Amino acid sequence: MSKRPGGELATRPLHFIWMADCSGSMAVDGKIQSLNTAIKEAIPNMQSVADENPNAQVLVRAIKFSSGAQWHVSQPTDIADFRWEDLSADGVTDMGKALMMVAEQLRIPPMTDRALPPVLVLISDGQPTDDYASGLQALMAEPWGRKAVRISIAIGEDADTEVLQRFIGNPELKPLQANNPEALVKYIKWVSTAVLKSASAPASQTTDSAQAGMNVPIPILPDSEPSSADDVW
Amino acid sequence: MVEEPHTTRWQVVGHSVRGASHERSGAPNQDAIYWLPQSGTGSRLILTMADGHGGAKHFRSAVGARLAVETAAQVSYDFLAGAQAEEAGSLSAIKRAAEEWLPKMLVRNWLEAVEHHKGSHPLLEAERDLLHAGDVSSSLPLAYGATLLVAVVAESFILYMQLGDGEILTVSSEGAVSRPLPKDERLFANETTSLCAPDAWRDFRICFQALSQTPPAVILLSTDGYSNSFRDESGFLKVGSDILEMIRADGLSQVKENMEAWLLDSTRAGSGDDITLGIICRTDVTQSSPSNGVLNESDS
Repeated sequence: MSKRPGGELATRPLHFIWMADCSGSMAVDGKIQSLNTAIKEAIPNMQSVADENPNAQVLVRAIKFSSGAQWHVSQPTDIADFRWEDLSADGVTDMGKALMMVAEQLRIPPMTDRALPPVLVLISDGQPTDDYASGLQALMAEPWGRKAVRISIAIGEDADTEVLQRFIGNPELKPLQANNPEALVKYIKWVSTAVLKSASAPASQTTDSAQAGMNVPIPILPDSEPSSADDVW
Repeated sequence: MVEEPHTTRWQVVGHSVRGASHERSGAPNQDAIYWLPQSGTGSRLILTMADGHGGAKHFRSAVGARLAVETAAQVSYDFLAGAQAEEAGSLSAIKRAAEEWLPKMLVRNWLEAVEHHKGSHPLLEAERDLLHAGDVSSSLPLAYGATLLVAVVAESFILYMQLGDGEILTVSSEGAVSRPLPKDERLFANETTSLCAPDAWRDFRICFQALSQTPPAVILLSTDGYSNSFRDESGFLKVGSDILEMIRADGLSQVKENMEAWLLDSTRAGSGDDITLGIICRTDVTQSSPSNGVLNESDS
C-alpha cells in the first residue's frame, strides 16, 4: 500500500474500573473472598470480549476503599495482561474518597475525548462513612464521569442501595442485589461480558435520547435472585 | 472593497468503507456520500456526507444516510441556482438564506424523503416495536437517524454546514489545516445531534465564506470513524496536509485510487467504524509543483 495520510492509527481505549468496598464488614461470611473469586473468574471472560472486538482496547484498573482509598491496580492495564491480587478487608467505608480519586483519573487529560465511554463498577456491602456526596459530585462534574457506564452491586441486605442508586444516576437501572456468592459471580460475569461488550462497540446515540444517562445501551439484566435459604449475606 | 470573485474550478473524489466492527457483526455500511454535478468537476460543486447512527432504534439509518446525502445535494443545488440569480454584491442575502432558509429545507426534505420511503417500505411489526411508541408517525425519523455534512463551493463563496459528528477540514495552499466550523461540545461519548431530532435545523453549524481571498486548496469531509482512528488530533489533522502533498506529487486520480486501501487500513487498525472521506480540490493545485515551498510535519 502507498504511504497513508495522517499520523499513527490506534484503537479506542475503553477504561474499566472496579471500585471495591474493603471495609471490615466485607470480611464477614466470606464476602471479600467471594468478590476476589468472582473477579478472578471474570478475567478470562473479559479477555474473550476484548478479543472479539480488537477495535476497543480494554484497559482495567481497580480501586479499594475502607479507611481511606487506594488504587489496587493503578495503571490502566490491558486486559490481556491483567492479573488480580486478592483484596483483604479492614476498616470503614470511605466511598467518597474512592469516587474522588476516580474522578481525577477521568479528567481530560489524562483521558482523551476519543475514548469509548468508561465502565465503572461500584461494589459495596455497607453505608459510606465519609462524605460520599462530595465524591459523587466530583465524579459527575467530569464529562467522562457523567458519560460513564455506572453499574453498582449491593452485597447483602445491609448495603446502602440508595447511595448505590445515586451512583448509577438513572432510575431505570437498579443496583444489583447479591445476597450469596452465586449471585455475586453472576452479576460480576454480566458486567464483565455483556456490559463490556456493549460499551466496546456502541452505536451513536442522539443527544436528546442520551440525556437519560443511557449513552451506551445496557444489555438485559440477569434475573434478580429471589430471597432464598441460600442467602448468606 | 470587494475583489473580483475567483473563477476557480474544483474536482471532487470520495470513498466509503464498511467498518471493521460492522464486518464482524454483519452490520452494513451506514455512511453515505454524494456529490453534484455527478461528473465531479466544475466551478460549482456540492459534496454531501452522512453517517447513519446504527443501533437498535435507528434500524433504517443506512437508508436515512443515503436519503440525507441525496436530498441535501438537491436542496443545495437549488440553493445554488437561486444564488446565481442574485446580483453581484448581494452575498449578504445569500449568506442569510444559507443560515436561515437552507437548514430548514435540508431537514424538511429529508423528513419528506423518509416518509416517502416508509410509504414504499412499510414498517414491520418488529420495527414498530423497536420505536417504542404508539405514534409511529412522530417517531419514524428515529429509525432513519443520521448526521449530515455539506460543502458547497461556488464562484463567490464556500458554504460549510454540519449537523452531528464528523469532520470538515480546509487546507490552504501553504498546507495549513483548519476547521471552518466551531466545535460542538455536545458531540462527546458517541452522542450526536441528528436529522431525526426535534427541531434538528437549529443544531446545524454553518460557516459562509465569501471568496474575497484565495480559497482553500483542499476541503476534506469525513465521518467520525476516520478521526476516531487516529491516536491523537494532530495525527488526524496531518491527513489534510499529507493529502495536499500527495495530490501535488501524484495527482488527484492517484489519491482516489489509494483511498479505499487507506480507509480500510484505518478502520481495521483504528476505530472499527464505517469511514467515509470526501476530497474537494482546486484544479490548479494539481498543476503546482510539490517543491513550491509546501511543508508539513511529514517532511521534517
